[in-house]
Amino acid sequence: MLRGFLVLIGFFLAGETARLGLGLPISGGVLGMLGLVTVLVMRGQVSDGLASASKAIISVLVLLIMPGVVGIFFQADAFDGYWLAILSALLIGTVLSVLSTLLLMRWLTGPRKYQETQ
Amino acid sequence: MTGLAGVLSALGDDPMLAVGLTLAAFLAGQALVNLMGKPAWLPAVFVSAVVLALAIVSLPLTYAAYREGALWLTVLLGPATVALGVPLFQQMHHIRQMLMPILVALPVGAMLAVIYALVIAWALGATPHILASLAPKSVTAPIAIGITEALGGSVPLLMGSLLLTGVVATIAVDLLAGQLKVSDERILGFTLGLNGHAVGTVRAFEISATAGAFASLGMSLTGVFTALLLPFLFPF
Repeated sequence: MLRGFLVLIGFFLAGETARLGLGLPISGGVLGMLGLVTVLVMRGQVSDGLASASKAIISVLVLLIMPGVVGIFFQADAFDGYWLAILSALLIGTVLSVLSTLLLMRWLTGPRKYQETQ
Repeated sequence: MTGLAGVLSALGDDPMLAVGLTLAAFLAGQALVNLMGKPAWLPAVFVSAVVLALAIVSLPLTYAAYREGALWLTVLLGPATVALGVPLFQQMHHIRQMLMPILVALPVGAMLAVIYALVIAWALGATPHILASLAPKSVTAPIAIGITEALGGSVPLLMGSLLLTGVVATIAVDLLAGQLKVSDERILGFTLGLNGHAVGTVRAFEISATAGAFASLGMSLTGVFTALLLPFLFPF
């Protein structure tokens, strides 16, 4: 499993190198993840060590984002006067985008097309 | 500098206090949510964050000092983002089942999730800083943090937005799927993952393993697509 962690860190550092070297506005984590997926697709399989390392770190992801989540309680007053805009965007925007995805997927998999994909 | 307060404020400089508090609040939040029967509208991470905020306020510890100590945890977000590539690779074969619908719905759906939010917020007078914090609201947290940082937004506002979006998306799918007579678990899962990231994916796994697989696929693809495109399109 430690070997798997080393692979993850290696791809992250490679991603950071690409980000800084090429001046890309994309995080090193995402670039590293794309590199990892490319290698996995080429090899056609995941090693047990990498699979268990990624499972372990993903299972504690919620713990890793908590310091960011708790910040909203301490910095909420920075957005005073904008809460109507923020909450409307999140509530109405999300309901609209769920509606759009459902309608689009229903249309794309409609009765005839649906059978073709079976 | 004697007594409990002095000791506690000295401990405040020790990163292990921040790490320990985060872990304790995480476990307490999970236990509380389990006691309440895991309602879909209340993600465990929100309860954990409330517990953590109360703990920080009641201790002689500032949020700034807490966040500095918690860097020992957040530094792992980089390799954790890379790790998301493994389930993406493992779930990729599901794409073949619905190749055309996914290839069309993914870019359109992921773009609309951003556009609806930005247009509404902009029309109601939100600043560019706020727009940059709201833009990746449907993207899974580790990827979304990188996007908001690249756009110049606020990570705490983003995190709050992510939670609310995940909850609203989950409720909206439950309500709208019946109205629209959509019962294909693959569509429900994909919609939950695309719009509601990890919160939606947890709900999808409660529907079925198939819904869960399509949700994690929708979540990963939305994250990658948005991370690659948004930083180049956002200035408009």
